[in-house]
Amino acid sequence: MSKNNLKTFAKYFIKIIILISILLVGIDFTFHRHAYFALEEIYGFPAFFGFVSFIFIVLVGKWLRKILMRKEDYYD
Amino acid sequence: MTNMIPGLWMIITSIFLPLIPQYLRQPVMLLSVAASASSLLNGFGVFVEWEILGNTLILYQADNLTLPFALIFHLASVLIIIYAWHNKNLMENMATLAYAGAAIGALHAGDFFSLFIWMESTALTSAFIVFAGNTPSARSSAMRYLIIQVCSGVLLLIGASLMTLQTGNYLLTKLDLSNNFGIFIFLAFGIKAAFPLLNGWLQDSYPESSPTGTVALSAFTTKLAIYALARTFPGVDTLIWIGAIMTVFPVFFAVIENDLRRVLSFSLNNQLGFMVVGIGIGTELSLNGTVAHAFVHIIYKALLFMSMGAVLHRVGTTKASELGGLYKYMPFTTIFCIIGAMSISAFPLFSGFVAKSLIMSALGGQGLILIYFVLFFASAGVLEHSGIKIPYFAFFAHERKMKVQEAPFNMLLAMGIAAFLCIGIGIFPKFLYSILPYSVEYQPYTLDHIVSQLQLLVFAILAFLFLVKFRLYPSEIKSTVLNTDWFYRKMLLGIGKPFFQSLHFITQKIYFILNLLFEFFIGKSKKFANLSYFKVTTPSFAATVLITILFVMLILAVI
Repeated sequence: MSKNNLKTFAKYFIKIIILISILLVGIDFTFHRHAYFALEEIYGFPAFFGFVSFIFIVLVGKWLRKILMRKEDYYD
Repeated sequence: MTNMIPGLWMIITSIFLPLIPQYLRQPVMLLSVAASASSLLNGFGVFVEWEILGNTLILYQADNLTLPFALIFHLASVLIIIYAWHNKNLMENMATLAYAGAAIGALHAGDFFSLFIWMESTALTSAFIVFAGNTPSARSSAMRYLIIQVCSGVLLLIGASLMTLQTGNYLLTKLDLSNNFGIFIFLAFGIKAAFPLLNGWLQDSYPESSPTGTVALSAFTTKLAIYALARTFPGVDTLIWIGAIMTVFPVFFAVIENDLRRVLSFSLNNQLGFMVVGIGIGTELSLNGTVAHAFVHIIYKALLFMSMGAVLHRVGTTKASELGGLYKYMPFTTIFCIIGAMSISAFPLFSGFVAKSLIMSALGGQGLILIYFVLFFASAGVLEHSGIKIPYFAFFAHERKMKVQEAPFNMLLAMGIAAFLCIGIGIFPKFLYSILPYSVEYQPYTLDHIVSQLQLLVFAILAFLFLVKFRLYPSEIKSTVLNTDWFYRKMLLGIGKPFFQSLHFITQKIYFILNLLFEFFIGKSKKFANLSYFKVTTPSFAATVLITILFVMLILAVI
């Protein structure tokens, strides 16, 4: 029972996020989005940029573990 | 009372705190903040000057830049006192009140020497807050913290002395990096603002303090440095680059750090980067952005640290590897933490959005395309470590078997007020904009801007879900992540130990010879010196050497 709670919550959460994502990219086609730089005005650019940046950050972080990670009592 | 230096009431009260009965301490602390806050009504001008040795120090001045900082420092003090209402640790209560008072006093200093005195006071009092963490690692961290803060103070003193010598002026004025004194003062503030490579102390000491202590620490020292930089180095181009690096590089450390309060300390560092960029641009819009960002940042960062403090208070740890599933037992804390997380991630209708927009617009207006996208990238990073990682690992991630209690009422109240302010400022930014240094007509809520920001954030969340789904998201591992404090905790120790050991050997030999001579001339009954007095291998000796070197630099510079 208790295990179901978090799983059902996650299921709904994922559905909602996917729905909002589709809406947000969809809305880009309905009007011309102004920005300071032409690059940002490309359809769906912030979405693409956010998605790629996030994955880049996490993967670089994972790779950094090889260099920077030590045992918990390293300084003791 | 009108001409009392702001913050001084709080320091005086902290001294008399031991004489006040336990149950009255927190109310009295609140009263002292109120007494100090009455100075906010004084308006702008120079109120207190002090004639000393033929020079005039300005102890109390107020203008459009001090006002927003003074307001938020008082507000933060109130939040901290409510949050720590249950705290019976007298030393921590005294240190916290004096620390907040000293920080408020520092804001109103009109010259470098009184600023130096106030900054030293904040260093000393805050070291006691770290010390009150009361674990062996907290105690040694407090010593390292104090040494670094004192070094920063000495650099400031060197800079101020050189400036007085070369220009005859010691008032807080606009400086640049073309003079040697400018560089000294820049470095002094740079240490306190946790510039890249000078940032080790922040992530080292903040997570070592008590649940309540970290909240107090997070508010003042670094924002005082931001204030000082905004006053003395606005428009210095170097700051744009320093700030941009600051927004990016803590992000990667935060991804892999296991202690969630340390993750928040990296996140704090990254937020300071945004403010430093704003100072570097130096336009009215960007300086407004820096001040607005500092203002909202103090609230949501305190809120996040408070939520993690509540977790620490109830569970006993903030290590991601030992948390998860707390949403069921601490529902209010969970909600408040998520509000803080959405504010720092700059979701529309939350306070981070209305402040960060100013800095981004200033960058756009200046055509700084590279920095603009660096900060855009860093925004995705903020979402990663503060927006997702903190709430996810603490409150969700997996179900929890061990039951815990919801946070005590006073903690929830403080978090509730902070959360209310985060949303209030987000929905009604007019209030925040009206107290900024320059009057700028600005509308953060345009459709373009809202869609752009939401696309960035929602697709970053989508990326997170994607990574979790395919098991690519790094799991929590018990570990230490190396940071720039490694240089003085390991590398310097590696070089210093043999050096000091040989020094120790030589001094012992010298004392041995002196002893022989002493015995020969005066007699055996009296010993010349006890050899154990002269342990040159201890860290405190190393610190003494370091600070002495800085003082020698000062004397050489003046000569």
